[in-house]
Amino acid sequence: MTSAHPTANLDAARATYRNIAGNISKIIRGQEGATRHLLAALAAGGHVLLEDYPGTGKTTLAKALAKSIAADFKRLQFTPDLLPSDILGVSVFNQRDEQFHFHEGPVFTNILLADEINRASPRTQSALLEAMGEAQVSVEGVRRNLPELFFVIATENPVEFRGTYPLPEAQMDRFAMQFTLGYVAAAEEVAILTAQEHNHPLDELQPAATLAEVLALKRAVESIRISGELKRYVVDLVAATRTAQGVQLGASPRASIALMKTAQAMALFAGLDFVTPEQIQKLAVPVIAHRLVLEPQARFSGITTRGVVEDALKKLKVPA
Amino acid sequence: MKTPPFLLLAALLFWGWFADFLWTGAIMGAVLESARFLKFRWDLDDADFNRIWSFCVLLIVVLAAYVFTNNNQSSLGGMLHGNTTAEMARAGALTTTRFWRWLPMTTFAFILAQTFNERPSVPLTAVSIVLRWRRRKGERALAGHYLNISYPFFMVCLLAAGIHVNRPATNDGKIYFIGQVILIAWAMWAVRPRRYGVWAWVAALAMVAGVGGAGVVGIIKGEHALQLYGTQWMQRFFHGGSQNPLESATSMGRIGQMKLSAQIIIRLEPAVVGKVPEYLREASYRVYSSQHLTWHANGGRANKTTDFEAVHPETNNTTWVLVPGKTNTAVVNIACFLDGQSDDGYREGVLPLPSGCSRLENLAADTAVIALQKSPNGTVVASGLGLMIFDARFGPGATLDAPPDLETTNQFDLKVPTNEIPALDRVIAEMNLTTTNDFEKRLAVEKFFRDKFTYSTWQGFDKLADASGTPMTKFLLTSRSGHCEYFASATVLLLRELGIPARYAVGYYVHEARGTGYVVRERDGHAWCLAWNRATRTWEDFDTTPPAWVAVEGRRTEFGEWFTDLRSWLGFQFAKFRWHQANLQQYIIWALVPVMLVLLYHIIFKRRKKRRGAEDEGTAAAVAWPGLDSEFYQLEKLLAARGVPRQASEALSDWLERALAEPALAELRGPLQELLGLHYRHRFDPQGLSAAERERLRREAKACLERLLRAKAG
Repeated sequence: MTSAHPTANLDAARATYRNIAGNISKIIRGQEGATRHLLAALAAGGHVLLEDYPGTGKTTLAKALAKSIAADFKRLQFTPDLLPSDILGVSVFNQRDEQFHFHEGPVFTNILLADEINRASPRTQSALLEAMGEAQVSVEGVRRNLPELFFVIATENPVEFRGTYPLPEAQMDRFAMQFTLGYVAAAEEVAILTAQEHNHPLDELQPAATLAEVLALKRAVESIRISGELKRYVVDLVAATRTAQGVQLGASPRASIALMKTAQAMALFAGLDFVTPEQIQKLAVPVIAHRLVLEPQARFSGITTRGVVEDALKKLKVPA
Repeated sequence: MKTPPFLLLAALLFWGWFADFLWTGAIMGAVLESARFLKFRWDLDDADFNRIWSFCVLLIVVLAAYVFTNNNQSSLGGMLHGNTTAEMARAGALTTTRFWRWLPMTTFAFILAQTFNERPSVPLTAVSIVLRWRRRKGERALAGHYLNISYPFFMVCLLAAGIHVNRPATNDGKIYFIGQVILIAWAMWAVRPRRYGVWAWVAALAMVAGVGGAGVVGIIKGEHALQLYGTQWMQRFFHGGSQNPLESATSMGRIGQMKLSAQIIIRLEPAVVGKVPEYLREASYRVYSSQHLTWHANGGRANKTTDFEAVHPETNNTTWVLVPGKTNTAVVNIACFLDGQSDDGYREGVLPLPSGCSRLENLAADTAVIALQKSPNGTVVASGLGLMIFDARFGPGATLDAPPDLETTNQFDLKVPTNEIPALDRVIAEMNLTTTNDFEKRLAVEKFFRDKFTYSTWQGFDKLADASGTPMTKFLLTSRSGHCEYFASATVLLLRELGIPARYAVGYYVHEARGTGYVVRERDGHAWCLAWNRATRTWEDFDTTPPAWVAVEGRRTEFGEWFTDLRSWLGFQFAKFRWHQANLQQYIIWALVPVMLVLLYHIIFKRRKKRRGAEDEGTAAAVAWPGLDSEFYQLEKLLAARGVPRQASEALSDWLERALAEPALAELRGPLQELLGLHYRHRFDPQGLSAAERERLRREAKACLERLLRAKAG
């Protein structure tokens, strides 16, 4: 396997990663970890859900990533009256040639920013299921493939906030990762103020990588090796959430796949050409937690999905 | 679903009122209701609930054991000393009653845990072994089934209160019914359908309550009717058991094999070996009803309260004089059971006593026996504990029995039913008697029965009453075979027809030696005749049943009689222990303590075993992975020995970071991290290490080990 991908490819991929990450850090300060996660999901072919309080930089991070890659970028503001056809596209009857013509929706792009995704109804949110899961869209009986690089960054406010709908479990499962940005340290916040004293630095951001480079990065991730023992560890970790107390719906095999792939990406970023247990451990919470559904009683008694995954990490013996 | 405020308190008070635990109920209710005002909560998980439920079950087991032994008529005891099925059923009901009485208390820990838990419900898997087992087998569907047990507990309280509505001469039944309707209405009020008006709801409830009430009354009436019918009906089938001193129904005139069990019911221990009474009499009867084939104590006016006379103990409180002024030398120790139930809740029964018994000794008043009564028919009725052990002094001469009433107009002891007279006269004619001497008459009667009659427990159609005669007539004239009741009845009537006062006696025939004493089985039950000796003015035993009867009965030895004997012996030992050992409950409780400890240990031990099993599985799976021969593990061990052990869930790099925080190891940081990289490749890179790299790992690990050891020594 590896012999087909010379080390030079891996180095180039790492350079791409560093370029994009460096570019983003010009805009988003103090969020190196979040940036790494975001790029890991991108490189692993997954999608990302950013959940945080308003104003913490979710949209900025997504836009910074979009601007750092010279690729097609569309932004979709989810509103309660948004319809599935507003996302996927619609056939319009052309009176001139008396034919229906399909007008592609914003989903036909490389990077889709689904801003405040949980403000649309679950019906509309569900329009993304096929696109995110299979990189294709079936409209009016015709299957249309999405571009080779199709990356969804969705942002949402915490579900308890007013005017939001919870995301369907199936939709949650299609996000490779969900993580929060959180508030940055005071010094970093001062730096943000300084940077935006006159204008937003995002306006001047230039792409740091081409579409081809990002596709090469994706292929490089696939060449990262993972041992059978660690695959077993991934599976055990995911399985542990299914039998954990207070969990109504545990994580699916799709979670195992996502965990493996993102761990491969993280290993690549860390300069390794194989996965180590550390990468799996570090990604377990962002990859698994959002897929779990807790029992209502468990939720009320203070159990969190994050806690469930952390517990599983603590209980499972890590390969060493 | 939560119960409305204070419903549980009311239900517990209701239970407390009926079960005589008013204060306990009040406190329990107050504790439960206090949860509405207190903020404090526990955070119990499924395993905790499992444990609490196991604890409750243990309590219930202890309670059951306690009730079982405390019950004067426990089913176990009954079974061991061979009570009838009906008695055991009654005893079982009593045990259940007492068991229910405590149930709200024994399950209180569980409801308390639920009430003060963060989530006010219990996992379904806690209360069901089947569900627990299925859960253990990994059926996920069962996870998350929670149940609020407030309403079930409420129902337990109502049931526990209801079981106790049997105090006689009170209105408890009515109070219970009304109280229960109110409580249930209270519980239902919260969940009433809002679609209908309040009055519709009240009307529906009233209707249900009315129908329920009417149903209860109907059942009680039906039960009474059945009992009335049942007693008459059962009496014809159940012979044996406790002897009725007022009436003895014979089995004469019935078809089929007479069958009595080999159950040992009396044990005798004579003071002088071999000196045992031949008969143990329970009662004697004077009036024969030819129509019903029964013997009555007195002519239709027999009455336990007027005919019986209380016997009072002597000053030593252990001796009871039955025949004043008579001194006997023969002493026999008798152990027998009292199988009846007196009105005041004690055991009651007729004592089997030797002929001519003058006094009972070593029978403690107040502890063993509460009351002793004797009748002019020579019957002694005792009430007290279920097992009576006493010494009886006996010998020939005066008996308890009143002399025959020859002077009165009734002359019960000479009375013969008119329809039996022709047959008796024919028999007397056949005997061809010439003598007027009572003694010679008796000899002639004895010879007559011995020569012309045979013993048989088989009752054929030839003795069935029909137009041609009564069973007695047929016995005397045609079949001339039968069992002791025929012989005894016929002899009494024959003697009376010959002018000798006679009575019909029932009891046991003592013949089976066992060790130094004797045992009496149920099948040794016997009927014979008491004949009046005008010369000595005493009643004498007169038995015309062919002596072969003992052999005949003995031949019918049951299969597995040794088992019956063993059971009887165990029952006897148990009864001795139970009736003469006041601290039995304490012994039982103390005996249960180790059992409970073992059970608790078992629960804990099983859990540990399971956990260990899971760990074993983990290591077994790990053995197959490559790279486990890495020398890095020696380094890990050494560093761990320096006080930084690695947690099982901690990745090596995280742990190494912690371990290297020690300043003394600062210079080792670089080499160790590089070594970890090699180790990781050895372990987790499917391509593995080349031979040179493997050698490097070995070499550098060795170097690091040495430096570490040096650092340690330093």
